[in-house]
Amino acid sequence: MSVKEKLKRVLIEDLNLEDVEPDEITDDMALFGDGLGLDSLDAVELVVIVQKHFGVEIKDMEEGRPALQTISTLAKFIEERLA
Amino acid sequence: MPSSDPRSEQESRREWTSRSIGSSWQHQIFYLLIRCGGRRAAYLLLSLVVFYYVLLPSVRVKCHHYLARRFPQAGRWAQFKNSYRLTLGLGKVLVDRALVGILGPGQIKGKLHDKQALLDLLAENKGLILINAHVGCWQVAMSALGGMETPINLLMQREEGDIDRHYFEHAGIECPYRIIDPRGFLGGALEMVEVLKRGEVLSVMGDRMLGNDRNGVDVDFLGGKVRMPFSAYKLASATGAPILVLFSYKTGADTYELRPWRTIHVPGGLGRGKDVFVPYVDEFAKALETFCREHPFQFFNFFDMWQNGAIESDPEPDPIT
Repeated sequence: MSVKEKLKRVLIEDLNLEDVEPDEITDDMALFGDGLGLDSLDAVELVVIVQKHFGVEIKDMEEGRPALQTISTLAKFIEERLA
Repeated sequence: MPSSDPRSEQESRREWTSRSIGSSWQHQIFYLLIRCGGRRAAYLLLSLVVFYYVLLPSVRVKCHHYLARRFPQAGRWAQFKNSYRLTLGLGKVLVDRALVGILGPGQIKGKLHDKQALLDLLAENKGLILINAHVGCWQVAMSALGGMETPINLLMQREEGDIDRHYFEHAGIECPYRIIDPRGFLGGALEMVEVLKRGEVLSVMGDRMLGNDRNGVDVDFLGGKVRMPFSAYKLASATGAPILVLFSYKTGADTYELRPWRTIHVPGGLGRGKDVFVPYVDEFAKALETFCREHPFQFFNFFDMWQNGAIESDPEPDPIT
């Protein structure tokens, strides 16, 4: 399973995104606001999820801001840290 | 009382900012008086200014939201006296804050009770969330923590056009704390996680919503339901950081005390729902209620927190003038 696919699955499960299927989440869909519809408090949960499922830590704003834009940017961030 | 007001609690809250506490030139007069005559002179003028302000029904209405809950049996004269005491209390805090900035930190003595409890929580090395409220003088509270080596971060929203200056601005020094602006990227959430991961202190206000009402839950407070933010408890759940409810209060002309009211441990993995955080916000609300019982004129709330609730009370205090 690719990082993107796993990411979509764990987001749905851990954030309890109701009535959303992994296929419905596009790679360039914005995580926050319009798009997946997450809010600022979900960002806290998202940092924890990434660490829990991928062992990757989002340490600060400098890393977090570009990473937490879309599924693609977050997956790329994770892949780079895992490489 | 509040139920007849068609405005939302959010609008009511926005209406109350430090900009509404006198104009810029009025503040300048106090600053000048502090420089020339010190605390006594400033307090003397303050008592007269507050008396004048409290004669205005609009000012008493702002006081009434909280005081009617805290003193439901108060008659009209008692309501007037209570409004005066509450407004004077706020005025003294503002004067004290300016005093520290203008004349130096020696003007106010801050005493921290049970420092060991705070150090023990810090020793857990998961960061520490301090939850304050609009009580006493948080700037003094923070300065009482100044002896700690751990950096302190404040979640603080500065209103545009805010003329009310903080003590470090009076003193012309750099802010000794790192300010996290809730209007920043993702509401400052990442920055807050970041400082807790580093084992630092994050200080937030627990009694008032900043911005989005979706981040609040309804809890009982002084006989009605109020909406209080749950973001700090969610942060605690996500990071494992303990929470310490810490309130400051004025105990004398130049003395403040700072006391831990309650420690709250929020279990991890509570997830996304808001209702799971109600018991923890409720603990905070109960601590604040205890504070209001002990220091009734040091909870500086001048808007209707209870928009969705109602108690048997006059809708507005009758004009005394």
